Amino acid sequence: MLAALDRKLLRDLWAVRGQVLAIAFVLGAGIATYVMAASTLDSLQRTQARLYREFRFPDLFAGLKRAPVSVLARISAIPGVTNVEARVAAPANLELAGYGQPISGQIISLPRGPGQFNLLHLHAGRLPESGRDREALVSDGFAKAHKLQPGVTLKVTINGRRRVLEIVGVASTPEFIYQLAPGSIVPDFKTYCVVWMNADTLEGAYNMTGAFNQVAATLERGARTEDAVMALDHILRPYGGLGSHGRKDQISHRYLSEEFKQLTIMSTMFPAIFLSVAAFLLNVVVGRLMATQRGQIATLKAFGYPTSAIVVHFLKFTLVIVVFGVALGIAGGAWMGGGLSRLYMDVYRFPYLDYSIRPSVIAVSLAVSIAAAATGTLFSVLRAARESPAVAMQPANPGRYRRSLFEASWFSQPTRMIVRNIERRPIKSLLSIGGVAMSTAILVLGGFWTDAVDFMVFAQLRRAQLDDITVTFIGPVSIRALYSLTSLPGVTYAEPTRSVPARFRFEQRTYRTALQGLEPEGRLRRLLNKQLEPVQLPAEGIVLTDHLATMLGIRPGQILTVELLEGSRAIRQVPVTGLVSEYIGVSAYMRRDTLNRFLREGDSATGAFLAVDPPQIPSLYQRLKAMPAVAGSAERAQVLRSFYETLAAQMLTFAFFNTILAAAIAVGVVYNTVRISLSERSRELASLRVLGYTRGEVSYILLGELMILVFVAIPVGLVFGRGLSWLMASSAQTELFRVPFIIEPSTYALSALVIAIATVVSALIVGRKVNHLDLVEVLKARE
Amino acid sequence: METVFSARAVTKFYDMGEVRVHALRGVDLELFAGEMMVLLGPSGSGKSTLLNILGGLDRASAGTVQYRGFDITQAKDRELTQYRRKHVGFVFQFYNLIPSLTAIENVAAVTEIADHPMKPAEALELVGLTDRMHHFPSQLSGGQQQRVAIARAIAKRPSVLLCDEPTGALDSETGVVVLEAIDRVNRELGAATAVITHNADIARMANRVVHMSNGLVSHVEPNENRRSPRELHW
Repeated sequence: MLAALDRKLLRDLWAVRGQVLAIAFVLGAGIATYVMAASTLDSLQRTQARLYREFRFPDLFAGLKRAPVSVLARISAIPGVTNVEARVAAPANLELAGYGQPISGQIISLPRGPGQFNLLHLHAGRLPESGRDREALVSDGFAKAHKLQPGVTLKVTINGRRRVLEIVGVASTPEFIYQLAPGSIVPDFKTYCVVWMNADTLEGAYNMTGAFNQVAATLERGARTEDAVMALDHILRPYGGLGSHGRKDQISHRYLSEEFKQLTIMSTMFPAIFLSVAAFLLNVVVGRLMATQRGQIATLKAFGYPTSAIVVHFLKFTLVIVVFGVALGIAGGAWMGGGLSRLYMDVYRFPYLDYSIRPSVIAVSLAVSIAAAATGTLFSVLRAARESPAVAMQPANPGRYRRSLFEASWFSQPTRMIVRNIERRPIKSLLSIGGVAMSTAILVLGGFWTDAVDFMVFAQLRRAQLDDITVTFIGPVSIRALYSLTSLPGVTYAEPTRSVPARFRFEQRTYRTALQGLEPEGRLRRLLNKQLEPVQLPAEGIVLTDHLATMLGIRPGQILTVELLEGSRAIRQVPVTGLVSEYIGVSAYMRRDTLNRFLREGDSATGAFLAVDPPQIPSLYQRLKAMPAVAGSAERAQVLRSFYETLAAQMLTFAFFNTILAAAIAVGVVYNTVRISLSERSRELASLRVLGYTRGEVSYILLGELMILVFVAIPVGLVFGRGLSWLMASSAQTELFRVPFIIEPSTYALSALVIAIATVVSALIVGRKVNHLDLVEVLKARE
Repeated sequence: METVFSARAVTKFYDMGEVRVHALRGVDLELFAGEMMVLLGPSGSGKSTLLNILGGLDRASAGTVQYRGFDITQAKDRELTQYRRKHVGFVFQFYNLIPSLTAIENVAAVTEIADHPMKPAEALELVGLTDRMHHFPSQLSGGQQQRVAIARAIAKRPSVLLCDEPTGALDSETGVVVLEAIDRVNRELGAATAVITHNADIARMANRVVHMSNGLVSHVEPNENRRSPRELHW
């Protein structure tokens, strides 16, 4: 049996269900962003950690030209190294029947016997049987992109020789969670593939029998990675070592870490903003809702209920709303988080996902909401409870008003009512404006993300990279190879490039990335400044991406130590002569001829940028595929597509969910503002109806006020949204991306439009309530 | 004498869940032009319900109410609004002034939407509030607020003035001042006036006293000797 007060509670809640729902929505939207972001990040990180453990991700990695297996004993002897495993990896060109575009890939030898590291997770099929040299496994991303099943064959060119392989299984490993073709910035599962085959076969095909060109090791707990790296580099140097590194520089791990960093920023900033907006609104709205209960509070006091019981009663009232809102938020957040995680899983090749919501996330959601709601409730209820019951049960004294500063003699009385009402309670008006402005601001923030991604793409793929096809050679080739490319049909222009892995050092900071040699007057690959204007490469010296300069703490004019990790392995002191602005990736540039000299090599290149007559692109692919010197080729249009399908899709989905939630918050806020205004003024409005005012005339008084508030709030919100976006842009700076601070006018317009629509919809709903004002009842009712 | 209202067999019931409450059980009543009528009766006798129906705020469940030949029981909502706007002046127990408007602006709120209104200042003069014209409701006493309400009700030159317990929230001295204002308006403007009260003394200022009980008119008592409110005591 419910106590009488509790029954009253349920009925009161039911009576204001529209507002309860709107408040719960606002709160739910705030909670949902938090739950979505926190659970996605948690789940991805948990899954990563579990995968690394279960499938034994090593600690140390190195690539080299070729070393005999006997060297492994020396590596095992490095202090701190526990297990060592070597293998052969070879670049390859692949062909899949029915798919016209070039596919590049990496072929990796399977360990003889049970492996120690990077264990395979078989998604389908089986492992190649020993002695079967036609059998191979392919990576699951590739299999999924092409819908491949075991049994399909694949043509592979290794070391210039073609073979036909039969896919017997589909697999994934922790070292390729983030699968990136060399030189590309986004995963493209259609055109890049990892293939595993028996060691004997691959070693034979790649002339590596009894040798290896990749090695991995685990380290003892507490062993310093830097020491092991130095020791390993020392051992491998005579064998063409390409520089060893720890997990930090392992491509998949590094990109994953960077993406997690990005996601951490997004999943901290968005929810922090949303949740504080929602908490603020909850506080305001609950406070105003409670203020309308003044008469009831007085009646309860008159019955002899102590103030504490009344406070508890109304706290229960708000608690029901809060619990409802939080439940809504958690359910919504979990649903969106699940969707978002699956989207991430499409890019990160996780064989499974540990989706979970930490109890602390739920605890924080509840705590923040309850605190916001409780303070709002307490403030209003205590103020009402302070009045003596006799006074409070009387009709409220007419509010004190004064003439407004902003009124003209020709104002009609209803217009006068509007301006005076706004001015009389400046705090309340400001809070309403603040609430609507905040909703506008988070809409801008959502739209900003889309604008930023579009601008990144625009800058990178429409201003900096202007080639149609990027060709990568199997290694450094003479510049003469370029002439044969130029003579291919469809190629209108070709530009060589030389890329070499390098370690950059300034003071105690180091960073490993590619050093690219470009043509000084390049037409297809341009370096740009912040204004997206081309920057000339100086004859001497090096030009850095601005983000790289920030990471190294170096300024133009200072001397950078460059350690080339290939060929001459020269270590040089080079002045930084300039910075370029790039939003995607981190690179360093110098003139190709200068780089050639550094490497003590002739006029050579590792790749080329081609301008191609578009209709000829497919046939050009066929010819490129047949060229033994070509390791791979990528079409810009394809890169653009995969960018939007992978990285952009994640960010934009995140932003899209947030925009939806922002819109929900906006509707909730506007609706509540006008709905509470209606309860506060129903008596006044009903009196006017009795005096012969039409519904339209009465609605004007109520909605006119709302329109003015919204009209003021929108520009404030747009400015505020710009500020939030700036904050987001300045903190979302990772090696993968720098988010440019770009907001298109359309984003402002759209945000304003959503608020305008929310206002009109709320006005229509509340306008209907104005139509149903019970004239007789309102005149009798005392409050 | 011209009949302003003519009510025939008016019933009104409210369905409260399973119980049907009869507020009016078949009321027949006339209100004549220029007349001052007082509706007297205990609470729950149906006075307010009848007044609300006459004023177009509520609808009869059955029966007809004619206002100068216009059947308000059949009127649409929009027509009722126009009816209130053009013909009816209301005075409520709790004044129901607009707190954000000054006395004169409260009156103007009605004159702005009326057809041939008097000037707001003129209406306030009729109730003796010329010196308080620019005060806000919060700066006026209860009696002054009620007089503003009367000025607001009469400024449109209504044919009927309906007052529901106009002195209910006032002390007797202030009540007399308010009744004087109503009396004066009735005499000078000739608006047919119906005043609800449960105070038998007030009835002495009427031309006719209609006694109501239990949803019916129990009897109608003409008053030959209409007193001025000054002479009333309660």
